Amino acid sequence: MAGSQATVSPPLQPPPLTEEDAARSSDRSRVHLARLGGRRWSLLWLLVGPGILAMLGENDGPSMIAYASDGAQYGLGFFVPFIPVLFAMAYVCQEMCMRVGAVTHRGFGELVLQRYGSVWGWFAAADLTLTNLVTLVAEFVSIRVGLAYFHLGALVAVVLGLVLVVFTFSGGRYWRWERIVLGMALFNGLFLVAAILVKPHLGSIAGALDFSPFPGGSFNTLLLLVASTIGATVTPWMIFFQQGASADKGMTPRDIGHGRYDTAAGAVLAAIFGVGALVAGAALLTHGGAGIQGFTGAGFPQALRRVAGGAAGTVFALGLIEAGAVAILTISASTAYAAAECVGAAHSFNTFPREAALFYAANFGIALVAALVILIPGAPLLAITLNANVLATVLLPVSLAFMVMLANDKGLMGRFANHRSTNVIAVAVVAFVGLCGSAYGIDSFLLTAHVIR
Amino acid sequence: MKTTASVREQPGREPAGSDRGAQGAAGADGEDELIMHLERDQFVAATSRPVPRAKLSHRSVLALWGLRVFAVMVSAMVVYTFIAQLR
Repeated sequence: MAGSQATVSPPLQPPPLTEEDAARSSDRSRVHLARLGGRRWSLLWLLVGPGILAMLGENDGPSMIAYASDGAQYGLGFFVPFIPVLFAMAYVCQEMCMRVGAVTHRGFGELVLQRYGSVWGWFAAADLTLTNLVTLVAEFVSIRVGLAYFHLGALVAVVLGLVLVVFTFSGGRYWRWERIVLGMALFNGLFLVAAILVKPHLGSIAGALDFSPFPGGSFNTLLLLVASTIGATVTPWMIFFQQGASADKGMTPRDIGHGRYDTAAGAVLAAIFGVGALVAGAALLTHGGAGIQGFTGAGFPQALRRVAGGAAGTVFALGLIEAGAVAILTISASTAYAAAECVGAAHSFNTFPREAALFYAANFGIALVAALVILIPGAPLLAITLNANVLATVLLPVSLAFMVMLANDKGLMGRFANHRSTNVIAVAVVAFVGLCGSAYGIDSFLLTAHVIR
Repeated sequence: MKTTASVREQPGREPAGSDRGAQGAAGADGEDELIMHLERDQFVAATSRPVPRAKLSHRSVLALWGLRVFAVMVSAMVVYTFIAQLR
């Protein structure tokens, strides 16, 4: 007996439980039951979220304005197929984020910091904070443009954005936060409605699928268009957000398949709605793109109203408000994940503000700073909005390189590490993004410094 | 880290076929044991422990620094252009 007793292993002690664990466990119990019961649609409903939010969050104010501006200045050619191609690239990047988050249960910032050293972690966080701050200013500008259509001022845009951030904090549950933002994000479809309202010629949309005609104009303008359009589809905050949200949601390796559906659905929806904004903007092409530069006023929606009617202008204005609002929530969240991860503080929506003060303070704080910028009289809001995507494109390759490294790290990922084919595509994406961003940055600098003409 | 007394343990196990990929560094033990529907390395206590530092080759470190310096330089150019356009 004594011998047999000696061979019995003591039961594994459960780890100490926190309220965050309890909240996540509650969400996971529903996933567990749906899986056990074979309820496929229920399982899909429970597991979608981070991918759609990352993709539709990136269909933000400056992105939709960039797509519409492309349409207004160059028409449908080239951009109708280019936007889906970019979202296919975004899928490759975001699928890696989801996979790493589901396998390691950790965010991007903390993994880079712990795995590759604090210098790289803090560099990544600094990149993110800079690009997020600039982008958030552009989001508030987007809301302001939309509200100006309804004769409402900048102060209303600021209050609306900040109240939304605080409203989504209530509850201390990731699930609740995700579903509120997901519900709002679906209104990104307003851009598709706007496209339908301008009554586009379907033949011209189909005819644009062969990437022609190629946009004309100067080489620098072309680089700006490409760089800002890339920045409208793949950005550093998406990497931090989707990995952090996947871990916060409690995804596991068993959920990777559904995570791929989620990410793919987000990419498809974002591409459709992005093309919708492009088509709506193209209605202004034959009218000289009138009014599209009016970022401080109602600008684009009013120009659309004159050309395509009040309904199209109203829907586009509402779309801009939605795009800015959703992006404020997701981009602020990515900042909060990064900041709290890098200092080792609690970083979950499954906590209350008293338990994760830094996480919630960073979330609200960066939104507050951005909001205050748009209240500064004479602030260069147009220039900030136009440069937000470009800056994100320039800084993106470093974050992407670390993402590829993490996804290839067999010590972390085991058999879920990248396959060779994924690596080939991922490296090509990093090279393409790096080339386009740096080409625009260098060419613009040389032109501005009068080194070249 | 605040713990809660209201949580009851409900040990459970996912059906056959569940898998696990992370080994070692993330604290995974290769099993699919669930405690309160969470994997063992999913608890806050587990994720609070840092993952081991990876050893990068000199070539990788050089490449990363090269990419970083290049990104900072191009960013500076974009910021310079941005400021110059404001004038």
